[in-house]
Amino acid sequence: MKTPARRWRAVGAALVAVSLAGAATACSSSSSSDGSSDGGGSYAIWDPYPQFNDDSEWVKLLKSCGTSAGVTVERTGYDTTDLTNKALLAAQQDNSPDVLIIDNPVISTLAEAGALTTTEETKLDTSAMEPNLLGAGQSGGKTYGVPIGANTLALYYNKDVLTAAGVDVASVKDWPSLTAALAKVKGAGKKGITFSAIGTEEGSFQFLPWFWGSGAQLTALDSSQAVSALTLWTDWLKQGYAPNSVINNTQTTSWQEFASGDYAFSENGTWQLGNAEKLGFEYGIIPIPASGGGTAPAPTGGEFVSIPVQSDTGRYATSQKLVSCLTSPDNLLTTDTTLSYIAPVAAVQDKQVAADAKLKVWVEAVKAAKGRTGDNLGTKYPKISEPLWTATQAALSGSKSPKDALSAAQTTAASATK
Amino acid sequence: MTLYLLAFYAYPLYRNIELSLRTYTVRSFVQGGAPFAGLDNYGKILSDPTFGPALLHTVVFTGASLAFQFTIGMALAVFFHQHFPLSGTLRALFLVPWLLPLIVSASTWSWMLNSEAGVVNAALGVVGVEPVNWLTSPQWSLVSVIIANVWIGIPFNLVVLYSGLQGIPGTLYEAASLDGATGWQRFWRITFPMLRPVSAITLLLGLIYTLKVFDIIWIMTRGGPTDSSTTFATWSYRLGFGNLLPAFGPGAAVGNLLIVMALIFGLIYIRIQRRQQA
Amino acid sequence: MRSPIKTVIGLVLTAVMLFPVYWMINVSFTRDQDMRADPPHLFPVDGTLEGYRAVLDQQLPYLGTSLLVGLGTVALTVVLAAPAGYALAKLRPVGGGALSFVLLIAQMIPGIIMAMGFYAIYLNLGVLNSIPGLILADSTIAVPFGVLIFTAFMSGIPDELTQAAVVDGAGRLRTFWSVVLPVSRNSIVTVSLFAFLWAWSDFIFASTLDGGGDHRPITLGIYQYIGNNNQQWNAIMATAVVASIPATILLIIAQRYVAAGVTAGAIKD
Repeated sequence: MKTPARRWRAVGAALVAVSLAGAATACSSSSSSDGSSDGGGSYAIWDPYPQFNDDSEWVKLLKSCGTSAGVTVERTGYDTTDLTNKALLAAQQDNSPDVLIIDNPVISTLAEAGALTTTEETKLDTSAMEPNLLGAGQSGGKTYGVPIGANTLALYYNKDVLTAAGVDVASVKDWPSLTAALAKVKGAGKKGITFSAIGTEEGSFQFLPWFWGSGAQLTALDSSQAVSALTLWTDWLKQGYAPNSVINNTQTTSWQEFASGDYAFSENGTWQLGNAEKLGFEYGIIPIPASGGGTAPAPTGGEFVSIPVQSDTGRYATSQKLVSCLTSPDNLLTTDTTLSYIAPVAAVQDKQVAADAKLKVWVEAVKAAKGRTGDNLGTKYPKISEPLWTATQAALSGSKSPKDALSAAQTTAASATK
Repeated sequence: MTLYLLAFYAYPLYRNIELSLRTYTVRSFVQGGAPFAGLDNYGKILSDPTFGPALLHTVVFTGASLAFQFTIGMALAVFFHQHFPLSGTLRALFLVPWLLPLIVSASTWSWMLNSEAGVVNAALGVVGVEPVNWLTSPQWSLVSVIIANVWIGIPFNLVVLYSGLQGIPGTLYEAASLDGATGWQRFWRITFPMLRPVSAITLLLGLIYTLKVFDIIWIMTRGGPTDSSTTFATWSYRLGFGNLLPAFGPGAAVGNLLIVMALIFGLIYIRIQRRQQA
Repeated sequence: MRSPIKTVIGLVLTAVMLFPVYWMINVSFTRDQDMRADPPHLFPVDGTLEGYRAVLDQQLPYLGTSLLVGLGTVALTVVLAAPAGYALAKLRPVGGGALSFVLLIAQMIPGIIMAMGFYAIYLNLGVLNSIPGLILADSTIAVPFGVLIFTAFMSGIPDELTQAAVVDGAGRLRTFWSVVLPVSRNSIVTVSLFAFLWAWSDFIFASTLDGGGDHRPITLGIYQYIGNNNQQWNAIMATAVVASIPATILLIIAQRYVAAGVTAGAIKD
C-alpha cells in the first residue's frame, strides 16, 4: 500500500498523462493504421451484409476480385446501423477500410465528414449507372461511390384475400380505389394493409412514396398535398384498414404480419422477393399508386461501393480495381441476384428480367424511384426526415392532427436546415 | 488500480465533457477542429421542447422501476431464504433473464405486447378486456417499458439482497423466535435494519443503472410515440446516434445532465454512509 | 408453511418470471408465416428447426470465446475490486470517499461513449479484436460495482477479526488473504456472478472493439441474422437460447456449490 500523500501525487500525474494522451489522439490523425495498410497485399473491405459468411457467393466474389487485383481481401460484415458509427469512428482515427459498402443515405453524411473520396479522384467509371440511382450518392455536384444494386418499395398483395373480398386488383389505380378495396377487404372480415411507420429512418422511407405520390416536396412538409398523404394513412388506422401496430412496425414485422395470410396488402421492398416465394398463399405485386393515378415515385434503397480517404493515397489504384470488379456487369448480376436487388445498369436489368419475369414490375418501380438525398438536399435530408417521421408518429397515434403534426415538422425542419 | 481507473473512466468522462462543450459536426468529428462553444449545447437542450417531458419520464421511469424492482426483489429474497426443496435451483433460474442480450429480451417484450398479435392482448381478450395499444399509444408506452425494465431488474435485486440476508447471523432470529416475534415482526425488526447497508447500495446502483437504461426503451418504442417514453438516456442516444446525421455535442450534453443527476444521489449516499460510520 | 407448498409457490413464481424466456423459445421454433399469427400460437405447432440449424452450423465456435471472456472478466474484476473494496471499507484511505464517488459517477458514462473512447486507446495499443482487450473493457462495467459491493459487505466484518490477525503478526496482505477473503465468500460469489453475466451479455463493447475479429463472442453472432432490410427472428432467438444454455447450467452448478459452502459455514458457527 502506498502512503496517502504518494497516492495523491500519482493520481495527479496520471491525470495529466491521460489528458495529454487524450489530446494527442484527438489531434494526431496521421498515425499509421494497422487495419488497412498492414503489409502491401492486404485490403480491408467492410460491408453491411453480416448474414453472409465465408462460404457465401458474396464473400467468394470479394476474394476473387482481390485475387484478380493481386491482393488478399480482409472482409468484415457489420450490422447497417453499426456500420455508420464504425465508419465515422474509423475515419476519425484514420483506420478506414480500403473499400466501404454502405447504405445510400449515409453517403452524403460520410462525404460531408470528408471521409470519402470522389469517383473523380479515384478514376471510377460511373457512366453505365442509371442517373436516378447514382443521384443518391451525389452531393454538391460530386459523386462519392458506385451503386451496387437498388431496391425500392411496392405493394405486395394476397390473391386469396382479394378474391374472397371480391376485389379486382386491376381496379386499384389511385388512392380512392385503394381505400375502396381496403374497405371491401375489411367488410369480408380480413385485414387491409400493413406498413412500417416506426420512428426511425425506416418510417420515413415507407411514408415517402405516399408523400411524393401526393405531389408534396421535402422542402415543404406542411403543404396541403403532404397533409393529404398523412391523412390517408391516419384514416386507414381510424377505419381499421391498417393495424395499430404499424406505429411500431419495422419492415420485417410488417412482412411477418403479411405472411400470416390475414392481410390484403403490404408495403414492402424488393428484398422480400426471396421470402415471398416461401409464403403459404399466392401473391402479386403492384406499384404504389400516386394520389391521382399512375405510379408514385418511391425512394431508392440499396448500397454504394465507396473508397474512403486514406493517408496513403497510393492504395487508391488497387481499391479502384476492386470496386470496378465488384460493379462489373457480370458480377452485378450475381450480387444483385443474391441480395434480391435490381441492378443499377440497364443492360443487367434486362438480363435479370429475362431470367425472372417477376422482376419486371420491380425494374419499372426502380426506374420511377428517386434518391432521398437527391434534389440537392444532401445532408439536409436527415434534418427533414426526422421531423417527418416524428409527425407521422404523432398523427398515427392520435396525439396531433395530420395538419398540426406536419406544420410542427416544417418548423423544426426549417430551423434545422437554415 | 488508480491507473486503471483513470484510463478507463476518467478518459471517457473527459471525452464526454469535451464533446458537450464544442460544436461538433460530422466533419469536425472526423477531421478535428470543432469550435469551442461553451455552454451553448446545454442552452439548446434546456430550451428544447423535449426537455420537459424527458425529465418527467426519467423521474417516473426511474422511480417506478426502482420501487417495484426493490420490493419484488426483497420479497423474493426473503422467500428464497427459507430453504425448501429446489429453492437453490429455482433461484438460479431467476437469473436467466440476465443471460439474454438486451436486444433479445427487449424484442421479446415488444413481441408479447404487440397490439395486433401479442400474447398479452390475447390473454386480456380471454378474460374479456379490450386490447390495449401497449407500445403504440402515448398513454401506455411508458408503462410498457417500465414493466419490461422491472422484469429485467428483479434478478439483480434478488441476488444482492439474498447475499445480504445470508450475512445476518441466524442466532438473531432464534432469539426473536424465543421472544415470540411473528414473521412480520422479525422482518421489520431484524431483517430490514440489518440489511440497510446492502439495501442502500442496491438502491443506489439500481438508480444509476435505471437512469442509464436506453436499450430497452429504444428497442421497444424508440422513445415514442411522440416522445411519450423518451427519457434522458434515450434522448441522448437519439441525438447522438439515432439519425443519419449525428449531433454529438447535444447528445453528450444530455448524457452529462444524467451524470449530474447521479452525482446528486451519490452525494446523498455518501453523506448517509459517513453518518453511519461516525 | 410446509416446505412442499413453498416449493409449489416457488415453481409458480419462477414460471411467471420465466414466461418471456419461454416466449423467446417459442419464437425460436416458429416459421416466418406464423410469427404474427393472430391470435398467437402458445406452442410452436408447425414448428421449424430452421433457426437452430443455422445457429448450430455457424455459432458454436463463438461459445468458447464467450466463456473465455466471461471467466477472464470474473478473474480480473475480483482481483481488482476485492483489495480496493477492502481498502475502502477497513483502511479508510485519504480520498476514499472521493474514490467511491468517482466509481459511482463512472458508471453513468453511456456505454457507447466508453466504447468510442476505448476504440482510440485500443487502436494505438493494438489490442482491437483481441480477447484480452475485450476482457479489459468488460471488466470496466463490473469493477465499480464490485468495489462498491465489497465495500458494503466488508465494512460488516468485525474489526476484532482483523485486529486479531494483526496481533498474531500477520501483515496487511496476509490478513486480507487469509482472514478477509474467506469470510467474504458471499460477496465474491455475488460479484463474480454479475461480472460473468455482464460479460456474457455485453453487446456494445463487443461490437465496437471486437467486431472484426476471429474470436467473436456469441452475442455478436446475432448480427448474422439482422440483415440490412430483414431480420431472421427465429435464428436470432435460437442464438439467444443456445447461448444461454451453457451459462444457465453453469449458474445452477455454481449456486449448488455456494449453497453447500454456506451451510458448511453455518454449522461451524
